[in-house]
Amino acid sequence: MAGLDGGRAEVVIDARVDPSGTPVVTVSGELDMSNASSLEATVASITAEGPDRLIFDLSGLRFMDSAGIAVLVSATSKVSVVQLRDPSPVVRRVIELTGLSGVLPIEP
Amino acid sequence: MLIMSSRASVAITTGSRDAAAAGGREALDGAGASSTALSSVWWWRPSRAAAIAFVLGLVVTAALAVTSLVLYNRNEDRLLTLRVRELGLVLTAAVPSIQTPLASAAELADATNGSAQKFRAFMAPYVGPGRQFASASLWPLGRAHPAPTVAVGSAPALASQPDEARLFFARAMRTQLLNVTAVSAAAGPGLGYEFSTPGARHGFAAYAESLLPRDRRSRLESNTAFSDLNYALYLGRSRRSSNLLVTSVRRLPISGRQASDVVPFGNSEFTVVITPNGPLGGGFFASLPWIIAVFGALLAMAAALMTERLARRRQQAEQLAGVLDRVASENRQMYTEQHSIAQTLQRALLPETLPELVGLRVSARYVPATSGIDVGGDWYDVVAADDQQVLLVIGDVSGHGLRAATTMAALRHAALAYATQDRHPATVLAKLSEFVNSGVHDYFATVLCALIDVDAHRLTVASAGHLPPLLIDRDGAAFVTFDVDVAIGVTRDVQYHQTTVSVPPHATLIAFTDGLVERRGELLDVGLERLRHTAVERQLGLDDLLSKITRDLAAEDHRDDTAIVGIQWQA
Repeated sequence: MAGLDGGRAEVVIDARVDPSGTPVVTVSGELDMSNASSLEATVASITAEGPDRLIFDLSGLRFMDSAGIAVLVSATSKVSVVQLRDPSPVVRRVIELTGLSGVLPIEP
Repeated sequence: MLIMSSRASVAITTGSRDAAAAGGREALDGAGASSTALSSVWWWRPSRAAAIAFVLGLVVTAALAVTSLVLYNRNEDRLLTLRVRELGLVLTAAVPSIQTPLASAAELADATNGSAQKFRAFMAPYVGPGRQFASASLWPLGRAHPAPTVAVGSAPALASQPDEARLFFARAMRTQLLNVTAVSAAAGPGLGYEFSTPGARHGFAAYAESLLPRDRRSRLESNTAFSDLNYALYLGRSRRSSNLLVTSVRRLPISGRQASDVVPFGNSEFTVVITPNGPLGGGFFASLPWIIAVFGALLAMAAALMTERLARRRQQAEQLAGVLDRVASENRQMYTEQHSIAQTLQRALLPETLPELVGLRVSARYVPATSGIDVGGDWYDVVAADDQQVLLVIGDVSGHGLRAATTMAALRHAALAYATQDRHPATVLAKLSEFVNSGVHDYFATVLCALIDVDAHRLTVASAGHLPPLLIDRDGAAFVTFDVDVAIGVTRDVQYHQTTVSVPPHATLIAFTDGLVERRGELLDVGLERLRHTAVERQLGLDDLLSKITRDLAAEDHRDDTAIVGIQWQA
């Protein structure tokens, strides 16, 4: 919660399954502690089905703070392969600097 | 104690909100009650604006009504003057119809030396009930005592009044016009007309009388052009009642709006006085001033009501705005209180004292997020391992709120405990990782752990996903470069690495959490470079430097908490 007067950041979350059967969660906008819980709920519903692989499409994500990273990281404990698709340099750098490049690899 | 405090703060929140809402309702009800009271005494105490609107409306209405009335009166007067002239013309036009038969009869008598038979035969069609004259008679002129030689119809009233007759015929000798007089016959009042051949002294005068209504009242027939008028007709210029010939009104003299004209009639004159029965210009124009007055008054009243309504609405809006203002300020106050409670809690979780070692200065800052009432997950610790070594731990638990705060507290104390067993940073991080991974969790923490050797000017550092510290010396500022390992709580069995670097004399180490450099839509490196630039700008004392960094980088509106720790070698 960002407080009574700190408005929520805008985030759009879209979950689909690609032709190969892999769930793809597209996150666009800004992901921070004010709205990370909505992504958390989406991820929880997907991981409940026990997929082998999960892809986060971050091409439209402009900002992500540690609360957002925590959601991505928590997915890695439930799905064996979690990959990021097309993260912006800003997001990519956050992941690098937190030492998570190995945990959250970019889709080859 | 933490949980208790948090619950208390939540209880304060809901309690205060309800109280504020109730206060708002009460105030609104209060406004409603006062408006009810206002409407019940409205007729006695309208607002000033409404009174002004009403008075203005009435003034304008009165001006319009008076103007309309003046115009109407002028118009009526003009029309009445026109009508009296018309009536005069009609009367004048009647002269020939009387004069012609009399003139012919007089000439006939002159020619026939006063033949009674011829006179009778000639005048008979003009005389009788419903005809022009009541009587007609032939009078020889030049006699001391005038008397008719022949009469048709009733006996002439003039014949029984010798004195009047003498005067009348004496006057007849002097005029060449139709000679007119008033007579009073047995049958009632009448008019006598005489005509004789002009200049004849010994000829004959033809004389006729017509009767007036006995009470001298006669209404104009409703189909005539003058039916919309009442009138009084006098013989001569005087309006004495003795001169009255005929009138259509009961009471004389005529009062009110009137017009009169003097009309020559033979050798005499008629005075015509008329007054309108009703408005000559039409009923609409007569009622126009009243219509204007009534509508104007209604409009003025409507305007006053409308103004009153607006004034009351404004008053209510102002009252409501006042109430909302109060609620908003209460909310602000509540929010400020909660924010400060959160800050107090945060500070309670941070170290109260920092170690003091010979040759080393230690200082720290904690800047809470400018918005938000939650407790952040940032923490730091600086503890003396021995006389020569200091262990620095700085970390950031993802998220905010109670869970982040309790996790932070747990990690903080665990780190301190592990440090007493083995002060190597990589070992501390590894143990922390084990500690976190033993439970179920959905958070992670970035932790930087650094062992500082004061005399040896050495720094051993390990990072679990945390941003590197900045090292400032006389040559400039640079981030310490080393391998960053994965954040705590992400994966099991992580091998943490530590790097040892040597520190130049009088160097300053700045460790911080990401709130200091992280900005939306900006590469982290840009924020890091901004920090480096700010820190190297001038050589300052440690406290001044931290204050400057805090002021320049954390003062703007930021959503994340920020912790900064500075360590400065004194040699």
